[in-house]
Amino acid sequence: MNDKMNLNHKAENIRKPSWVPVPLAALFSLIIPGLGQIFARSIRRGILLFFSYATILGLLVWRFILAAPRDEGFADIVKKGWHLDPFLIIITILFILLHLWIVYDAYLLAKHRDRTPLSVFFVILVVFFALGWQIGQIDLVNMVTQADEALPALSRIAWPWIKAIEYDEDEIRAVANIEVPCPEDHDPPAANEVGNDPVIVTDLTCGILKEQDGTLGTILRLEGHNFIPGVDVNIMWADPINNEFRQRQGGEYVILIPDENGYFEFDIEMPYRLLPPSANEPTYIWELFALQIAAVGDAHLSQDFILVVEKMIETIFIGMMATFFGVIFALPVSFFAARNLMSASPVTLVIYYLVRGVLNIIRSIEPIIWAISAVIVVGLGPFAGILALVFHSIAALGKLYSEAIESIDPGPIEAIHATGANWVQTVIYAVIPQIIPPFVSFTIYRWDINVRMSTIIGLVGGGGIGFLLVQFIRILDYRSAGMCVWFIAITVAILDYVSAEIRARFV
Amino acid sequence: MLEIRNLTKVYDDGTVALKNVSFGVPDGEFLVVIGLSGSGKSTLLRCINRLIDPTEGEILWDGVDLAQLKGEELRMTRRKIGMIFQHFNLVKRSQVLTNVLSGRLGYTSTRRSLVGRFSKEDIDKAWVALKRLGIEDQALKRADELSGGQQQRVGVARALMQEPSMILADEPVASLDPVLAHSILQYLEMLNQEDKMTIICSLHYLDLVQRYSTRVIGLRDGEIVYEGSRADIQAMSDEEFKDIYGEEAERVGSGLEGALKVDEGGAA
Repeated sequence: MNDKMNLNHKAENIRKPSWVPVPLAALFSLIIPGLGQIFARSIRRGILLFFSYATILGLLVWRFILAAPRDEGFADIVKKGWHLDPFLIIITILFILLHLWIVYDAYLLAKHRDRTPLSVFFVILVVFFALGWQIGQIDLVNMVTQADEALPALSRIAWPWIKAIEYDEDEIRAVANIEVPCPEDHDPPAANEVGNDPVIVTDLTCGILKEQDGTLGTILRLEGHNFIPGVDVNIMWADPINNEFRQRQGGEYVILIPDENGYFEFDIEMPYRLLPPSANEPTYIWELFALQIAAVGDAHLSQDFILVVEKMIETIFIGMMATFFGVIFALPVSFFAARNLMSASPVTLVIYYLVRGVLNIIRSIEPIIWAISAVIVVGLGPFAGILALVFHSIAALGKLYSEAIESIDPGPIEAIHATGANWVQTVIYAVIPQIIPPFVSFTIYRWDINVRMSTIIGLVGGGGIGFLLVQFIRILDYRSAGMCVWFIAITVAILDYVSAEIRARFV
Repeated sequence: MLEIRNLTKVYDDGTVALKNVSFGVPDGEFLVVIGLSGSGKSTLLRCINRLIDPTEGEILWDGVDLAQLKGEELRMTRRKIGMIFQHFNLVKRSQVLTNVLSGRLGYTSTRRSLVGRFSKEDIDKAWVALKRLGIEDQALKRADELSGGQQQRVGVARALMQEPSMILADEPVASLDPVLAHSILQYLEMLNQEDKMTIICSLHYLDLVQRYSTRVIGLRDGEIVYEGSRADIQAMSDEEFKDIYGEEAERVGSGLEGALKVDEGGAA
């Protein structure tokens, strides 16, 4: 250890002196950062510092222009930038500090040729860190203070099972006819009679509508009987041309809740409606109705839940089929990608490199890219997802299989050969027993990966649960999305466990 | 009677492994080949059963030149030559029984071996062989679950299955500790004396050579530099041994044999 340090020290000592005097080196670096170091005979260090400085300068200019895109002139841009993003002030200060530090570094370097100051690189790191903070728009304050806004969505995703069950709904609709305006030559419609069914009764069965000029409409005393207690009742109108609209009073829709006897009462002001010019009959019948939507019957699984389960099954099978086809194609390919089999002649070696190259290229393209391409070819749906995963599986499995073939122990082959076994027998008794376990293991692992990936593939239209998940997110149905997330998590966990168990048994 | 005449092997990269090697092995001999690593021992053994094709020379076994054999004839001959390896060369993930049975492959049709069916006699034979080597209780384990000594015994059992008249043993005890080394060599001695098999075995340790061999040849750089009878070896001192063999030579340590007799066939 000591010797080594002495050696280092010696190496420092024989470093040649600076080309220029110390103050001049500092001055050069003040004009062009890094130039002083170059003249102090630390050329590589000078170049490195110059490019670091230039990069930081470039990034800083870009951030300022981005912050003040409409301003012109250096001073204006800088002022606006500082104003809009105070963090730029810190970076500016750090930048000036860096400039000065490079000058100081040149000074040190020219003066003490036996020392290698490293502080300047630390400053560069700090400046890059600050720039990264600004470019990444990191905002810890927002993250903390607005965290609670994520709660509604998160809580729905975390526990979405309310949406897993639903009830059959029954629509109760009770109508009362109101004549507008009150007729002069005949009686208005008779009021409904209260029996055992849900019914609404008004004290008047005719009246006038609210006028455009603000004249109040007739106030009707509305009573409801035999409704389901505790469940919302909407009060609505159907005008003579059968447009339905909700009664609005005091700026709010009228929603009534029946008491324990199914009874409610309310004063209704007849609504405003512009009658078309063609409406020249003396009177019209308007329908006032109460709408109650009530759950009846037993709880059953909701549509969304069933859909999620269906798509989950689809996803598992996408993974399975992709693995299946992947294995079929990867098996023959892997023999061409095994070096120990292909190094016999230059021709086979060329094939080996070609196959390896193609496999590497396919593997380095993400399945999501393959999925986008497959969607263009075969359209949205699970087949596109299968295609994408098959491509990736062939490449990945081909590589893994070929490596398993490469790692075969030649000893048993020699031994079986020595017993007088022929070629086929040697393959069956010495080669296959060695490659089956890794092949099985890699295949199951791949199935596991494929199921996990098929959820991602779904996001771009490759079918399966990912497809469903992204649609639920788009319509802000976080509960259903939450069910998808739960099912994916459960499936992946089970698959993970199962595949680990199987692999442990085979290897 | 095995007779090697002017055997030469030059590898593709130009390495000369054997130079004009000639010697004879009468039936029922326990011939030990000594020599440093790289002296050509393994190449010599593998030339005899043609795992390696010799460049020149004749390998006459009962009048047939093994060096000229091809295809089916070669396979038929190989069946009669068992081989034991330093690293056992078992199929690690297969059962012990399967490993032993694979010694019968030369006698089994391709069709039968495709479905993995060995005849009843072969299976009985395998159990007998396992019993003889004292490892019948390990028969259904995977080969890599066994200890080194046990694995080498599986290797011996596999060779036995061929019903060979000659066994080639390529440093059979180099991966084993001294106690196990004696135990394996005692099995070979037993085959040599009871079953009258010819044994050609390469070894490293002088005391093992003295204890088991009936004749010794020494190889250095692919040439025979020593040839001696049992009496010659018994009289040989460590210094002479090192002279032939090189500085690496050493004794395993005597005095272990007595303990071994009790332990014969026991736990490895």
